[in-house]
Amino acid sequence: MKRFILPLVMLLAVTLIVAGCKSSSDNSSASNAGDGDGKQLRIAVIPKGTSHEFWRSVHFGAEKAAQEIGNVEILWRGPVVESDTGSQIEVVKSMITMGVDGIVLAPNQKGGLVDAVEESIGEGIPVVIFDSGLDDGPEIVSYVATDNFKGGQMAGDAMAKAIGEKGNVILLRYLAGSESTEQREEGFLEALKKYPDITVVSSDQYAGDNATSAKEKADQLLQLHGESLAGIFAVCEPNANGTLEAIKNAGMAGKIKFIAFDPSDALIQGMRDGHCHGIVLQDPVQMGYQSVITMVDFINGKSAEDFQSTGEYLATPENMDQPQYQTLLKPETVQ
Amino acid sequence: MTENQTRRGKFHWLTSFRHGPTLALLAIIALFAILDWQFGSGRFFSPRNARVIVNSAALIAVPALGMTMIIIAGGIDLSAGTALTLSGTALAIAFRDYTIPADQAGAATWIAAALALGLAVGVLCGLLNGLIISLTEMVPFIVTLGTMTIFLGLGQVIADESTVYPESEHLPDWLRYLCYTGSNSDHYWIDFLHIPASALIAIVLGLLVAALMHFTVFGRNVVAIGSNVSTARLCGIRVGLTTAAVYALAGVFVAVGALLYFANVKNGNPSDGTGKELEIIAAVVLGGGSLSGGRGSVLGTIIGALIIKTISSGCTMLSIPNTYTHIIIGVIIIIAVLIDGLRNGAPKWLFDRLR
Repeated sequence: MKRFILPLVMLLAVTLIVAGCKSSSDNSSASNAGDGDGKQLRIAVIPKGTSHEFWRSVHFGAEKAAQEIGNVEILWRGPVVESDTGSQIEVVKSMITMGVDGIVLAPNQKGGLVDAVEESIGEGIPVVIFDSGLDDGPEIVSYVATDNFKGGQMAGDAMAKAIGEKGNVILLRYLAGSESTEQREEGFLEALKKYPDITVVSSDQYAGDNATSAKEKADQLLQLHGESLAGIFAVCEPNANGTLEAIKNAGMAGKIKFIAFDPSDALIQGMRDGHCHGIVLQDPVQMGYQSVITMVDFINGKSAEDFQSTGEYLATPENMDQPQYQTLLKPETVQ
Repeated sequence: MTENQTRRGKFHWLTSFRHGPTLALLAIIALFAILDWQFGSGRFFSPRNARVIVNSAALIAVPALGMTMIIIAGGIDLSAGTALTLSGTALAIAFRDYTIPADQAGAATWIAAALALGLAVGVLCGLLNGLIISLTEMVPFIVTLGTMTIFLGLGQVIADESTVYPESEHLPDWLRYLCYTGSNSDHYWIDFLHIPASALIAIVLGLLVAALMHFTVFGRNVVAIGSNVSTARLCGIRVGLTTAAVYALAGVFVAVGALLYFANVKNGNPSDGTGKELEIIAAVVLGGGSLSGGRGSVLGTIIGALIIKTISSGCTMLSIPNTYTHIIIGVIIIIAVLIDGLRNGAPKWLFDRLR
């Protein structure tokens, strides 16, 4: 029995800490809501992960906003396990515990983060959602993101232009259930309805979340439709990288018009070589910047629109060397 | 045995790490509390953070209880993570497709059926592992390496390679708030004591497993098998049957873990489980479980889970980048097992030199 005593004392201590919360009842959260002037604001910015270039550009934008406003500290915290919902929930809860003044969050899954966001708002900490949507329910300040449907429409129009408004095209999807890419896919199909001479020969294939599986799928589709094919649209970066490889392998680079979404070094090079004919771009720096500005404005008493678009752009071989598109093709990142 | 005893008598300062895991946890809490008080927000050592940590620890601790039994029996289960999300995904599908909104009459039956389905999936996964291992006498590591990807694949098939979102109205309130850590008393099981329900479940299950291992013949048999299979067989223990039972029983804990996982993230994604088995095994090992079998402790496992989550919470609060968090957790696992080895006279060369 003796060997249980020490552990038991310890567990008792933990229990007491937990029980103690009733009396102290987290009075910290009440004091830090609402007062924006004077003391430094601490804003937690929580991405889906930390290793992708995209998020590092968002981080850059958030820091830029903080510097411009002054007196704002950015707490940049990604989930410990990349793209893991449980891990992201833990980070949100830790930020609530730290009593930050606001949380800016890109939810990993639209349903999974609802309760964590509700908890945050319940403790008096406002939340701005960016990049991907959250299920209805919590009273968030604003949703700052790319208008993905519009981005998809731009891709559709770019495709029509590239293939001379007639011919067979393929839409290579990403994953079932991913909201942002589904909107791009719908936007693309919607735009193509305007062109009666364009036939979508395949729009039900999912390329998966990595370049390897995308290349496999694209290989199969090229074998199936290759001879009569005019164009392919790949809805996101890993997807597009794999597709580009498959097109090159099949010896059809340049013949098949290829439109991508989100840039990568391979795609930019592909555009120079004439293998890629358009890339729809988002503005991650603006996304980070605008989210933080919105949050600080809200803390200072200014309300925001429910949805704010950070803009979507089309890079083509003709305009890719203009300074504006160069910045969007290679957005700045935090070092 | 006698050699071991003389060692213990002679170098008792080295072999006295009996409460290693507990002391390590206290030291880690103290370390982070001081660092956070000096350089951080000062909120690390707070009731709220304690709730957040015990809740996330419970999510690992519950499946780790089953893993503790398996490891004591000399086995290993690499499929625990994907079996957990397979069961969680089945639960999510049941709630999405086969239940009615929770406030309607008759909803309780459907909810009970959904829970039973989740439990059945967990137990079947465990039973499958147990049967293959005891019937074929293959190494558990290989068998569960295989079932790990089988369960992942099955999960992806039933989820249609996607994430399963049930409507939130279909979830009863008690389930929604299993992992609640906010400050509203109504959402806790005990009004005056704000302990997350997930942690209470972990504690109750922990007590049950401890009782099972200490006071029943089954428990003794499990330890015997883990210590020495041939001796156990000679003593008349039905090794195959007991092994299969241990894995099936561990499936129960995987299923309860799946329920907590589902209550936490409110959806089912089969690929969430990849990598979870390592966290679960780490909790058991940190708590003093021996991968060569025969040794492990329920309390140790729970403390092991607390250690892992305390470190990751502390690192988040101190702005330590995730990359370093991974390194710190890895180093602590190795140090903990090393210190744990000291009390058993390992490493041998060190003790031989000291003699």
